[in-house]
Amino acid sequence: MITLAQTLDTWKAGIGLPDGTPSWIVAAIGIFLIYVLVIFPSGAVVSYVDRKLSADFQARVGPNRAGPAGIFQPIADLLKFLQKEPARDWNWQEMLWLGVHTMALYSTVAVIPLGTYAILVNTDMSAFLPFWSALVLALGTMLMGFSQRTVSGWFGGVRLAAQALAGAFPALICVLCAGIRAGSFRWASFAAVQSASPLHWTATTNPFQFIAFIVFVASGLVIMNVPPMNGGLSETDLHGGVSMDLSGRRLSLFRLGRFYGLFLWSEISVVLFLGAWTLPQFLLDRFSESGNRALQGFAELGWLLAKTYALMVLLIWVARVNPRARVDQTTDFSWKVLSPFALGALIGAGIWAGWRAFL
Amino acid sequence: MDLQMTRQKPTKAECLRTDLIDWEIGPYHTALPGPMKLRLVLDGEIVVSGQVETGFLHRGLEKAMEGHEWSASVAYADHLDPEAAVYGELALCLAVEEIASLDVPARAISIRVILSELSRLSSHMLYLVHVARSVGADTLTHYVLRDRERVLDLFELLTGARFSLNFLRFGGVSADVTEGFIERVLEVCDLIRIRIKEYNDLLTFNNTFLKRTSRMGRVSADLIKRFGITGPNARAAGVSFDVRKAHPYLNYKSLDFRVPMGRGVDGITGDAHDRFLLRLLEMTESLEILKHISETMPSGSYLNRQILPEAGAEGYRITVPKGEAYSRVESSRGMLMCHVISDGGARPSRIQFGVPTTANLMALPELLVGVRLEDLPVLLASLDLSIAEADR
Repeated sequence: MITLAQTLDTWKAGIGLPDGTPSWIVAAIGIFLIYVLVIFPSGAVVSYVDRKLSADFQARVGPNRAGPAGIFQPIADLLKFLQKEPARDWNWQEMLWLGVHTMALYSTVAVIPLGTYAILVNTDMSAFLPFWSALVLALGTMLMGFSQRTVSGWFGGVRLAAQALAGAFPALICVLCAGIRAGSFRWASFAAVQSASPLHWTATTNPFQFIAFIVFVASGLVIMNVPPMNGGLSETDLHGGVSMDLSGRRLSLFRLGRFYGLFLWSEISVVLFLGAWTLPQFLLDRFSESGNRALQGFAELGWLLAKTYALMVLLIWVARVNPRARVDQTTDFSWKVLSPFALGALIGAGIWAGWRAFL
Repeated sequence: MDLQMTRQKPTKAECLRTDLIDWEIGPYHTALPGPMKLRLVLDGEIVVSGQVETGFLHRGLEKAMEGHEWSASVAYADHLDPEAAVYGELALCLAVEEIASLDVPARAISIRVILSELSRLSSHMLYLVHVARSVGADTLTHYVLRDRERVLDLFELLTGARFSLNFLRFGGVSADVTEGFIERVLEVCDLIRIRIKEYNDLLTFNNTFLKRTSRMGRVSADLIKRFGITGPNARAAGVSFDVRKAHPYLNYKSLDFRVPMGRGVDGITGDAHDRFLLRLLEMTESLEILKHISETMPSGSYLNRQILPEAGAEGYRITVPKGEAYSRVESSRGMLMCHVISDGGARPSRIQFGVPTTANLMALPELLVGVRLEDLPVLLASLDLSIAEADR
């Protein structure tokens, strides 16, 4: 088992810091690097892929001006957003709740796993930490909507919170399912029980785990208000709900946050159910022979991100062909369909694991 | 007042009690079909009552027609409903032709039927776009808009304009069909017939879409009777009235076509899904009519110049004999009526339009009761309101 101290030592060596550097500085630099090198570029890549793919699905052209085939469009968008003047003055409550919203979201950067040596917080309960962030995120967004003092913000906020509560229950049950197989809720143990082959992923070990995987992904759409379950951000009746009053930098912060929510969820789904970052055994042997931890880290990160992007593209596909569900239908779906399936999967997975242990 | 409940409201025990919220939306809002105002009283997400205010798009078209010569009135009639311009022109021309006892050549009648049915196609396709957009199905939106361009291309080929056609004349049409037009019409018909299947696969029977539209915004037979709702909205509720069958004009009497009716395929008769489905069925019928009329296009003149000046004459002054006439056509939204009074002078004495959207707007406050806030855009889109023609 790799401890936090070992992880940080690896990082120290990787970044080239002297031995005496305090741990918190290493951790802060690590969070910053994850944010700048992983989250931010992922946002650009996936938003570009999303727009191009959607354009292809919808008989449109999509971005094609900024750079060859429009690949610099995300950067151009960001630059435009950064220099825009805010549409109106904000009261301090809104700033406060946007702050809470943003902090809730980005605090999860510290707990997401990105490889054997890229886990900052590897406790026994690590797998649950992002959920609390997701719920605080929903709360922050709801209160931001309330403080906007518009009907759109109000309804958007309430809908977001209702969906987050409805989605959290089945999602947590599904984490328990994955935990039954892993034997603990450490990120490292989820990776340890799965291998690179799709036949040894948690989702494919038994039918109950597969159900758990599907339910987990679907409840992520509900919690994070991702289309087609984005009633809280619906444009047609609420003008985008909470985001109606946002513009410029605040909107870009909010948008990046929404993207990051989807990214976080897909990434955790991959870690829990789709083989995490585990590389094929022959590659691992090679790496342990050469002792090149940095290279191993990058290979694992690449493999993990590739699977995450593939899952996100799949979700975008689903979002493009389906109309938006109404918010009460979404919460109904979560409580009355996802939750029973999640409970069934938990019981099934438990019996399956017990039966295997008994034999 | 006997309120038509469109959706069972939850009882007090089932829902949290909250104060009522007043929300005024409009004149500009994405949920609205055009500039109008809705004064809503909401109980949570559910509409308790709603009032409609219109008039933001009043341009004084009818008055403007009185102030100009007869030759200008067709161009004004275009702007009655910009999305289906030809029906306004057609209703006006039919009334004037009745006053002047003009015989319209057979070829002109066929061209008018082609334009009329192409307009129905294009207007219904825009309807699909509005409904799809209201439920967030953007993919279908783009598909339909792409195909609608083909229909607009046909307008452009025939009349030189894509929206405000200004093509019909008293006694016929302003130009004969151009080379290859008929073949293009047949091509587009074949294309759209294939596309309708695609739309059905993508949206019509999609589970989420059914959940959003079926059993929602039901127009009942009683409502139709009280407010005089006509057109697809009434037919979707099982009231079989189509001006083309009931009071045939042009040569609809000799054409063989079916008038589809709503049957409550998924849900109850007259709900939003029925209205959506009915438009698709009407598009299929329009394709049949177009195919038939294109294959049996009579030859001959396209314009009876009895009251028009000679081609190439100085000025363009028309006089219509003294008289009064009333005409009605089946527009894409319902029965469009036109009442024309002429005092024998160079200008119309009075032109009045009766439009189908008015009845729908009057019924709207009753339809709104019990609808969820998220269903509001779907309800409004599914009624196919044209604020332009209501305000005129």
